[in-house]
Amino acid sequence: MKKTPAPAPEQAPDHKPVHDKKKIAEPYVAHMEQTSQAHEEETKPTRTLWGDAWKRLKRNKLAVIGACWIALMVVVALTADLWAPQLLGSPTEIDSSQMAQLAKLPPSPAHPFGTDALGRDVLCRVIYGARISLAVGLLATAISTVIGLIMGALAAYYGGIWDTIIMRLADIFLAFPYTLFVIVMLAVLGTGGIQNVFIAIGVLGWPSIARVFRSAILSVKENDYVDAARSMGASDLRIIARHIFPNSVASIVVYATMNIGGAILTESALSYLGMGVTPPTPSWGIMIQDGQQYLQTQPWLMLMPGLAILTTVLAFTLLGDGLRDALDVKMKDA
Amino acid sequence: MGKYILKRVLQFIPVFIGVTIIMFAMKNIVPGDPIKLIAGDKALSPEIELQLRISNGLIESDSNGQAIYDADGNTVPTPIWKQYVTYMGGLLHGDLGTSYQRKIAVTDIFAEKYPYTVRLAIVAIILEAIVGIGAGMVSAIKRYSFWDVLVTLITSILVAMPAFWLGMLLQLLFGIQMKAWTGGGWYLPISGASGEFQDWVYYILPAVTLAAVSTAYAARIMRSQLLEVMNQDYIRTAKAKGLSRHDIIYHHALKNALIPVVTYIGIDFGGMLAGAILTETVFNWPGVGYEIYRAITQRDWPIVMGGVTIVVIVVMVINLIVDISYAFLDPRIRFGAPKDQA
Repeated sequence: MKKTPAPAPEQAPDHKPVHDKKKIAEPYVAHMEQTSQAHEEETKPTRTLWGDAWKRLKRNKLAVIGACWIALMVVVALTADLWAPQLLGSPTEIDSSQMAQLAKLPPSPAHPFGTDALGRDVLCRVIYGARISLAVGLLATAISTVIGLIMGALAAYYGGIWDTIIMRLADIFLAFPYTLFVIVMLAVLGTGGIQNVFIAIGVLGWPSIARVFRSAILSVKENDYVDAARSMGASDLRIIARHIFPNSVASIVVYATMNIGGAILTESALSYLGMGVTPPTPSWGIMIQDGQQYLQTQPWLMLMPGLAILTTVLAFTLLGDGLRDALDVKMKDA
Repeated sequence: MGKYILKRVLQFIPVFIGVTIIMFAMKNIVPGDPIKLIAGDKALSPEIELQLRISNGLIESDSNGQAIYDADGNTVPTPIWKQYVTYMGGLLHGDLGTSYQRKIAVTDIFAEKYPYTVRLAIVAIILEAIVGIGAGMVSAIKRYSFWDVLVTLITSILVAMPAFWLGMLLQLLFGIQMKAWTGGGWYLPISGASGEFQDWVYYILPAVTLAAVSTAYAARIMRSQLLEVMNQDYIRTAKAKGLSRHDIIYHHALKNALIPVVTYIGIDFGGMLAGAILTETVFNWPGVGYEIYRAITQRDWPIVMGGVTIVVIVVMVINLIVDISYAFLDPRIRFGAPKDQA
């Protein structure tokens, strides 16, 4: 079934030699193993999948820290207009009359992250940069997820020629080195607009989500309740939407969460190369690029936005890991 | 085995054609008239412009290289499919066109740049293999120890870090700060591939930057694979036989746990040969990635498209080799393992 250039960690567990007796009962055994594992962790009476997952997630300190950090970033980014410019000054406008005094100040109580070469407050720019990063992370992931879900569903549910065509298409997309492909795509679409950044990252991200969803469907599809629904005359769309999707949504949630971090990293790389949003819009990647020339004298100019990227991406990874454990999703390790 | 290889090679062909179609489509979508880009700021006479359109295959011409006109006396644009056939023909003959601005064959440019990328990739991959496998082994063997926690912590941070930012941190630490602390006595070069230092010194920081993220992944895969293998029946048998832990790990478990890691590192090597556009940009490394990036900023499309085409072919060939050797190492793959659902 799988013709990927061997993403090994994912493949290895599936090729475990299975004893003949076990082979027949494989889906059931796998299912029982999963549920028994869940029972070991959860001795209290189980309610719903999401209820249990939520309980487990709350106990995972790292995931909670990640979630809190993300929540903080979202709140700060959304409310920035209400307080940041008043406290720290405009993130984009340059006060040319005072520029000489304000430029390249080291961190101080008035400017906790210092100021950049044009006299703008770095903390304020980092806060506004969170808007771009979070927006790109969420929207690009949404685009990838929607395309990936449709493609994965078509491939897995209809199989045959659909499966071959879609998975070959995924192979073609994955044959390109990712960063390079995004950059070239952006060059072709035209740089400068943030919407092109969403599109380039989003459109090129679908193959991995399609694969995850496809395999999730394949493992759910053979269950008796799907057969039961079909024998009762349910339409394909209804079966996918009401029976298959809810049972594979866990793996998608986990994958999408991790994907947001990846999209944020890609956006920062694009902005760093000068192909993302246009200055003076503050973006963490652009700030790092601006700071690069002052590496020797004002290193905080590149340190602060870099730390912002690091902590945000880390938060999404921790939350994703926590969700994976809480929802008991089997994934490749890396 | 022969059958498996043949199957994989045959699967390679449609993907290759798909990739070339995408590249060709992009080549045609890019904004701007190619002739204007070739001319740059100079104004072209209509004759020269006509000649350029013919030589670039944009309009139909007869066997003598003269433009063909339709009934109204206009030139006839070459149909897209015909342009694609010409492009593929050129590709198969190793002709990727000529740079707009530098007026040299794209293949010559990359012949000059590729050695830098290849050498950097080799240094980085050796680093990745040694550090990644080593750290993963320590982490798995001494599970839940201080070292395990340390490896987990460092790998988590590394994969959340933009690679170019890590490169700058290294520049700051080992180039600039080190120079200041030692009074200019001991520091590493932070830019370019040659100069006042011995050549190999220039590889250190870019190679560490390039290897960092993949090393973290390699260590994670190594850890989880080794832990998984240690749970298997044959390891229990070995234990029951009374073998020492050392023997079990090094003679029984490691071999099987290594296969996926080696595969990952192999595929990663392909990725590194694709030219690390960010690492090369941060360090002004004269490799393929930096060249493609520079060509993008200058809108020199033949270099961009030709470069990406070369890179994709290299990556695909490496993946094919990795795949085949994977099947060679693990018979379960070539004999068709129990139907997987992944």
